[in-house]
Amino acid sequence: MAVEAEVGALVPWAEAPARRVSRALKGAFPGRAGPSGHGKRIVASALIFLGACSRADKVVVGAKNFTESDLLAEIIAQQIERRTALPVERKLHLGGTFVCHEAIKAGQIDVYAEYTGTAYTAVLKHQPGPGADSVRRLVENEYASQWRLAWLEPFGFNNTFAITVRQADAERYGLKTVSDLAAVAPRWKAGFGYEFLERADGFAGLSRVYGLRFSAPPLAMDLGLTYRALADGKVDVIAGNSTDGQIEALHLVVLADDRHYFPPYEAAPVVRAEVLERHPEVRRALAELAGKLDDAEMRRLNARADVQHEDIRAIARDWLTRVAP
Amino acid sequence: MELLRFYSANSREALGLLTQHLWLVLLSTVVAVAIGVPLGILLARRPRWRRPVLGFANVCQTIPSLALFGFLIPLPFIGGVGARTAIVALVVYALLPIIRNTYAGIAGVDPAVREAGRGMGMTDRELLTMVELPLAAGVILSGIRVATVIGVGVATIAAAVGAGGLGVYIFRGVAVVNDTLILAGALPAAVLALAADGLLGLVERRFVWR
Repeated sequence: MAVEAEVGALVPWAEAPARRVSRALKGAFPGRAGPSGHGKRIVASALIFLGACSRADKVVVGAKNFTESDLLAEIIAQQIERRTALPVERKLHLGGTFVCHEAIKAGQIDVYAEYTGTAYTAVLKHQPGPGADSVRRLVENEYASQWRLAWLEPFGFNNTFAITVRQADAERYGLKTVSDLAAVAPRWKAGFGYEFLERADGFAGLSRVYGLRFSAPPLAMDLGLTYRALADGKVDVIAGNSTDGQIEALHLVVLADDRHYFPPYEAAPVVRAEVLERHPEVRRALAELAGKLDDAEMRRLNARADVQHEDIRAIARDWLTRVAP
Repeated sequence: MELLRFYSANSREALGLLTQHLWLVLLSTVVAVAIGVPLGILLARRPRWRRPVLGFANVCQTIPSLALFGFLIPLPFIGGVGARTAIVALVVYALLPIIRNTYAGIAGVDPAVREAGRGMGMTDRELLTMVELPLAAGVILSGIRVATVIGVGVATIAAAVGAGGLGVYIFRGVAVVNDTLILAGALPAAVLALAADGLLGLVERRFVWR
């Protein structure tokens, strides 16, 4: 029980010593001239040793704690297994953006699927604003220079926040866009996930841009439970994810972001640069998937996992044999 | 240090969440005691019910909290979103140590003492309130103590159904990659658990007749 909370609470403490060690090691080898410096190599191998207890040459694939992230990780893992000789280890369903980011920085995982808008606002803590291309460019540059992490080509879909209402309500009040929502909002109750309430590109900015005022401050709860609460009429508006399989299954409708408030959230594999240098075949394998997965396709794959409860390994295998035989 | 700055900037919010947290633990523990102690007594009287009841409490303990919330949201009266759902879940998690210890405490009373009571002409009820419960009080209290300490930690998940509490900081921190926020929730929860443990330990020592 309490798994979500405990994972979040434990990890920073578990991570802290590793970070201290890495700092100490870096201090011990001041002559790290660049990627080829001796010190760097020793530090890197020492860290790999500490991080994974002398792990052999293999690729560790991570994922955040929701279906889509698990699915993308499984697709990445299977593609590496199909195209290279490297053994792959899966560490799926880790505790969210935070945990994945810390894990890949510490070398505990080698690759996971991240979203450009999430990296831009939640990890790099920039204010939302610029368009799609500049978000991706900025994120690529800063990840490379700060942490030696490489962004590969995006999968091809944009999983944005989806302001979602019940279909019956949308029809009764003629709601198509978030702007339409502003008129009925004062009588309605909203329930949002913590991430949406807290992020720079989340509720605060949305309510400012659209002039949204609800009957009470939005209820803060677990993202997965907001769908349940909306479908059962406990709340009237939620912020889901646009590629979620639940939306159609629960007869919900997504309102259009007619004022283009949200930045783009293109999913792409983030890989440790060191892994790509040692194994260029990983980059080649994942390049085959670039642009192959659009919004509708991603929603279908998510629905197969969340609504039809199919095994994500089978879903990933089907998709891969179809698009990259 | 960043943590201190955070608290001084958000002292009212932090105190509010701490109070919410305390209420959640207090209410759920009181309800769990009200259900668990009589159940434990019943089990001591009817040994045949012991396995199914304890088995059920054991199973409850293993239900993941989010799954439990998922089941509870659509239910009338005990479900929905907010504090009520969280308290129901906390009660479910607190039951096992209370039932088990109450049963163990009463079953552990020396049969000779019980016989002596009967010999003095005590009724069943008198035997319970004047002999068995006082003798079992130490074990029962330590069960309540365990349940309370666990409850302080588990209550952080109340934030997943909009019931507030210190878990709000943990969930918010996890959502936006912010260590300070996570600690702002986790640290006082840990201190609270230690304080509850110490306090109930004191009660145990002070009031238990041995």
